[in-house]
Amino acid sequence: MSVPAGFTETTLIDPFERHVGPVFERGVKGAKCFALRVDERHINARGVVHGGMMLTFADAALGQAVWDFTDRVPSVTMNMQAQFIDGARLGELIEVKPELVRRTRALVFVRGDFTADSRTLMTISSVWKLLGES
Amino acid sequence: MSEIPSPLPKDAVRVGSVGFNIFAGPIYRLGDENQGEIKHFAFVPEQKHMNGSGAVHGGMLMTFADVSMSQTARSMFEGNGCNTVSLSCDFVSPGKLGALIESRVRVTRKTRSMVFLSAEVVSNGMPLLIATGLWKVAGQP
Repeated sequence: MSVPAGFTETTLIDPFERHVGPVFERGVKGAKCFALRVDERHINARGVVHGGMMLTFADAALGQAVWDFTDRVPSVTMNMQAQFIDGARLGELIEVKPELVRRTRALVFVRGDFTADSRTLMTISSVWKLLGES
Repeated sequence: MSEIPSPLPKDAVRVGSVGFNIFAGPIYRLGDENQGEIKHFAFVPEQKHMNGSGAVHGGMLMTFADVSMSQTARSMFEGNGCNTVSLSCDFVSPGKLGALIESRVRVTRKTRSMVFLSAEVVSNGMPLLIATGLWKVAGQP
């Protein structure tokens, strides 16, 4: 799979993310944009990206962002809320620039607007627990 | 017909035939419970479903919830496809490699074109993920 212009491939560790990836990124740490190129593996019977794939990309991209926002503190997803606004089709590039809403001692609140060709596809609000912090 | 993995009942039916349902699966539908009030699904986590910490990946748990709930929504609209409009997931505990994961989906309310659903994803009696969401039948105003 060719890397989109201006992006580099994100290093993925989790087997499930490696299974569904690659994921691409551009920009500086803490303000990165992540991207996924839609292929045949990602779509559903109606020819748009499967909701589960959108959520998996969200978990991967926002998780990478939490790692960057906290300067490499490991975390787990506690809650993820998604609104599915429009479908992405084969060949489209889905992009998100995760936004840090708030960091407390133990929690990180992150949101993201997922777009393709400036069409909004999905919005995500999420809560992450930093491991080892109570 | 592919072999049904051992922790699953023999009457398990594989869900989906294209794209991500195959690639991320297999996910199975089991028999209804409570006189049809509860729809029942399952999958067995393989190495590909895991994260780097040795737990089932959150994306796979959400995918399993979404597939279970979308299939339930579809069954409420005579088999017509339904789109996920919103989904909220709480991650309660981690899933383990090879340990059967089940979901039970309940209908909160069905309107003419939409259905409100809740799902509990469990493994070995432990809740892994709690989900609520809203589905709309395709092609209906």
